[in-house]
Amino acid sequence: MTVRIFSAIAALALFVAVPHLLPEFRLFQICLIAATALVVLGQIVVTGFAGQISLAQAAFVGLGGYGPAILATAWGLPLWLGIPLTAAAVAAGGFVLGQLTLRVSGHYLALATLAFTAIVQLALIHSDMLTGGAAGMAVPPFSILGLTLSKGGELYYLVVPVTGALFLITENVMRSRFGRGFAALRQSETAAEAMGLNVRRYKASAFAASGFLGAIGGAMLAILSTYLDPTQFGITQSIYYLAIAVVGGMVSTVGIVLASAIFVFIPEWLQAFQSYLGLVFSLLLLGFIVLRPEGLASLHSLRLGLNLLRSGEGTR
Amino acid sequence: MLAQVLVSSATAGAVYAVIALGFVLIHKGTGVVHFGYGDQVTFGAYLALIAQVLIGLPFWASVVAALLLSVAIGALIYAGFMWPLRKASLLSRIIASLALGTVMREFLRAFMGPNAWPFPFLLSQNSVSVGGILVVPANLAIVGVSVLVLGVLFLLFEKTVYGKAIMAACDNQIGASIVGIRVSSVFMMIWVIASVLATVAGILMAPVLTLSPDMGFIGIKGFTAAVLGGFNSLAGAVCGGVLLGVLEALAGTYVSTALKDMISYGILIAIILARPQGLLGVLAIRKV
Repeated sequence: MTVRIFSAIAALALFVAVPHLLPEFRLFQICLIAATALVVLGQIVVTGFAGQISLAQAAFVGLGGYGPAILATAWGLPLWLGIPLTAAAVAAGGFVLGQLTLRVSGHYLALATLAFTAIVQLALIHSDMLTGGAAGMAVPPFSILGLTLSKGGELYYLVVPVTGALFLITENVMRSRFGRGFAALRQSETAAEAMGLNVRRYKASAFAASGFLGAIGGAMLAILSTYLDPTQFGITQSIYYLAIAVVGGMVSTVGIVLASAIFVFIPEWLQAFQSYLGLVFSLLLLGFIVLRPEGLASLHSLRLGLNLLRSGEGTR
Repeated sequence: MLAQVLVSSATAGAVYAVIALGFVLIHKGTGVVHFGYGDQVTFGAYLALIAQVLIGLPFWASVVAALLLSVAIGALIYAGFMWPLRKASLLSRIIASLALGTVMREFLRAFMGPNAWPFPFLLSQNSVSVGGILVVPANLAIVGVSVLVLGVLFLLFEKTVYGKAIMAACDNQIGASIVGIRVSSVFMMIWVIASVLATVAGILMAPVLTLSPDMGFIGIKGFTAAVLGGFNSLAGAVCGGVLLGVLEALAGTYVSTALKDMISYGILIAIILARPQGLLGVLAIRKV
């Protein structure tokens, strides 16, 4: 128990100290990592914990980014209100998608979610009136209580706490009865059903949670990039999020934060070789899935550290 | 008008049929839906292009070179990735096939550039009027080659011992291995045939579509065709391909060209939800 209290205090101290220690550019990168990790958290809830392959994450991210921007430009709704509203709507959409695809799993689910992403992207491109079509649209700045957050150092206080809170909530939910239901679903749908689990509702909830987290993450990414380009919300991007989830280890929240950091930093490390970026990402995905399917989370040193951190919880 | 639309749709339909056949063959044989297959189609077309433009081979030689290389690629995919992953979870295998496709696409983007390459036409692109219907010889050739390929495969599977061994191994691996079929070499053969099919489809389609790394998204049309016909039926895949070509052409003509792709993805989702076994397929019953 004491270990957990200490680590909580340390995390809080780190959160307060970081903006004073790092330059603006690094803070922006931290925001980018946090927002990406949030999107990937949605991916691992549905794919890692509940065992349902989904290629819909980029569509959720796109809807989560476009929603608040459209609400703000067309109806003047502030972003702080538009973001949760959109996320709730996307979650409802995810719930429906989960209900509809109840009968299918495996390949068919991958195909259905792939087609869903393609349709959402085409819809974003062809709804010129609302979304600016293929040219994209600008995202209005985020302001709350008269404060406008625009620079990395300011957005840090929005993106990092939101991400942290959602990570904590998700982790706790995944350790609850609900999370164990997901695990049962992942291991055997039929057995889960035989044990009296409402498989339909659990699957739909997994998709709803994935949609919610993806939409919030998408809104954060949209605020950070200040511009929405429909080419950023296609199948390639869905595979990108899946790749981060695989590298992170699919069921490890710490793993996906590390993996998000790697994927955000790679473009910087490869500065002179930008055209090889996609190749490096895809080779990482292929390499991990073949050689290390458990991802970064299976690395010995990382596991040791995590166990140390959790030792305060006692043996479970 | 309707007759014209149907004739024009035959080109796309024939190529969709070839791609769908590759999907179904791999799925039926090895239980994997190869999500990178569309990118393999693009890669095949690029192989021919590289042999021709960068090495300077004549067209026919470059096609032969591309086909030979695709044999090697098929064998490599099986030996390097699908064999090591044969006992991995379905999720891992799906992701691995996606990753393979992405690696191919990004390889082309990195080394051949993101922009479209002109791909040489073999026959005239000018249309000829036959009984009031405009026909493009180049497109007819595509249909002809596709039909030829499908015919050869039909003969292979129906009339030769080797083809029958492949079908037997697809239907029942253990049974096939009991009667003396080496299942692993059959699987290798399936990946090689599918890889060659992808290259054929790529070379046929490249002059019609624009040849860029993103041509691989044609793969989704191949999925749709395969799902439409039933993922476990070779005949269904061919029917699905032709049907999708016709449906798309009709949607493009009578509804909207912009919505053409959306309609075919919509068909994909609708079929998956309503009739996952496809039009000609038999529903697989899972045993626990």
